[in-house]
Amino acid sequence: MSSPSSHALEITRLHFRYQGRGPNDPGFELQLPSLTLARGEEMLLIGRSGCGKSTLLQLIAGLVDPNSGTVHVGGQDIHALKGAARDRFRGRTVGMVFQTFNLLQGFSAMENVLVALLMSDVPKAQWADRAQSLLRSLGIERLDARAEELSVGQQQRVAVARALACRPTLVLADEPTASLDPENAVNAVRVLRDACREQGAALLVVSHDPSLEAHFARKERLDELMKRRAAHDSTREGASA
Amino acid sequence: MSDLTIVLRSLRARLFSTTVVVLLVAVSAGLLLAILSLRSAGERAFERGTGNAHLLVSRDGSPLVSVLNGLFYANSPKAPIDRAKLNELRESFPWAMFVPTAIGDSYRSFPVVATAPEFFSKFEPVLGEPWQFADGRAFDKNFEVVLGSSVARETGLRMGAKLVLTHGSGKSREGAGDEADEHSHVHKEYEFTVVGILKPTGSPHDRALFSDLESSWMLHAHDRFERSGKEKLVTAADLVDDDRNVTGVLLRLPSREGSNTPPALVSQYDKLRRDGSITVAIPSNEVQRLFSIVKSIDVLFLAMAGATLLSSGVAILLSMVNSMSERRRQVAILRVLGASQARIFWLVLTESTIVGLVGATVGIAVCATVLFAATAWLLNAHGIVIAPELDARSAVLVAMGTTLLAAIAGIVPSVLAYRTSVARNLRPIG
Repeated sequence: MSSPSSHALEITRLHFRYQGRGPNDPGFELQLPSLTLARGEEMLLIGRSGCGKSTLLQLIAGLVDPNSGTVHVGGQDIHALKGAARDRFRGRTVGMVFQTFNLLQGFSAMENVLVALLMSDVPKAQWADRAQSLLRSLGIERLDARAEELSVGQQQRVAVARALACRPTLVLADEPTASLDPENAVNAVRVLRDACREQGAALLVVSHDPSLEAHFARKERLDELMKRRAAHDSTREGASA
Repeated sequence: MSDLTIVLRSLRARLFSTTVVVLLVAVSAGLLLAILSLRSAGERAFERGTGNAHLLVSRDGSPLVSVLNGLFYANSPKAPIDRAKLNELRESFPWAMFVPTAIGDSYRSFPVVATAPEFFSKFEPVLGEPWQFADGRAFDKNFEVVLGSSVARETGLRMGAKLVLTHGSGKSREGAGDEADEHSHVHKEYEFTVVGILKPTGSPHDRALFSDLESSWMLHAHDRFERSGKEKLVTAADLVDDDRNVTGVLLRLPSREGSNTPPALVSQYDKLRRDGSITVAIPSNEVQRLFSIVKSIDVLFLAMAGATLLSSGVAILLSMVNSMSERRRQVAILRVLGASQARIFWLVLTESTIVGLVGATVGIAVCATVLFAATAWLLNAHGIVIAPELDARSAVLVAMGTTLLAAIAGIVPSVLAYRTSVARNLRPIG
């Protein structure tokens, strides 16, 4: 059951092991003792490539199940929900922005945002207004242009609009600037932050790009978070000895 | 925006393969429907030819041959019915129609039916549709001839035209005696005048000429005189009973108004059958028997159409499975946006179902158009009435069957979509 919480995200003793598929894919282990993000808070999570940043976002979105631990989004343990209930909850509560934006090809900018609303419980009468105002506020004027007809920068804005369409509690951005040149990367982060702030959504950005650190008041390194776990474990072992 | 929009966009994204598969389904559904329609149309076309005769008496080898010869003019009946037997038949029952016919002569390969005037007043070439003249009238004296509509069109003969007949149904042509086969010769001595041209009936009678019995008997009496070495222009006065033969009799029993099933049909049929010297046929039964014989071929055609339909189902399956690589990313995105696995399953299943439904609709529409055009062309160009009726039941069944097949074909890609790993398919391409 969902309970009122001041946190948009609350991770407790999360453990996920990926076995890997062979010598070229050795697998990895992700262990986080705790991580919280207040409602409306912004945070940058830095980590090297392949350390499990994207997997962490998938764990938070409930797309992958952990071996142990809990992930609460807006007070709801997302992994306690099963099947369609979890999908519905994700659609309503979590917005995601990807490195390659993952817009639906063949769909217009407007339709890409409307699809997100279709999966939500937002009344249909509000869909068009909400999609239009979001897209326009992000500088998209050609609402009926197909995704593939838009520039990279415009695609990124449409992806942001889609992530925010259902007024989510939490927006997860996976390497949102990796496909952009430095100038556009700065703009993209600004757009993302402004939009989330305007909608009151917490924002968790994961990236391997240290240049983004300047834009975020709160930044963490995934390997340091993991070390804290290791230190915590060794302290506990010492105490028990 | 609705789930249907997502499905339609997905189909549009693969416009070429969608169009090809829809056309394949359309051809299959149209073919199946055409075979179903033409099957019943063929049967109906044959049934039309039997007209309003309840019974046909001849001396052919079997009832089926009797009907094929006597009403469909397949061949000339070999054995005649003599005058005594004809009179005996006439007196045996108060027939509502008693029309003797003599078939054996021809004009440019078209059969000539020598018959009584009742042929035009009582016999209906198609049940409930009496003869209609496009021009002229029925014969009322010797050596007058009435043309079936196809004969008039194909020979170009007009009212008042003169023609001579060929004894036998060989490939001989008027005035081309050298080309006549050994069993036929041209009766140049007797000239017939065209006095009537019939409107099309959509029956085999359109390809026949009709004259009076006495003229036919005179032609053959002339042959008799020739064989005995006497050159003589025969008149009715020269006819003897042996000349007055017929090859068949079309019979109709009295029946209640509005009914074509006379109460005495079975008893009269049985009574006549006991006479071993004649062959009795119920024409409509023989047509049905003929169709039951050819039903196995019919089933073969249906099986072929069914196989084509099945292959179109396989094409849907292959097309959708082949598109899975591009579809997986779309599925993953929809899942991230909150679509459940079940919803993904139904979206893909709806897609294949729509392909089937659109294909079936296009197929039925094209089939109806082609059949309509072909029907009109056959009637105008050849006077053939093939009236394929696209009955709503067959069309609905074909549409439902095709759609169901498409839905079944969509199960495999739907399951693949259902099981698509979201995490794996959200990774950047390349």
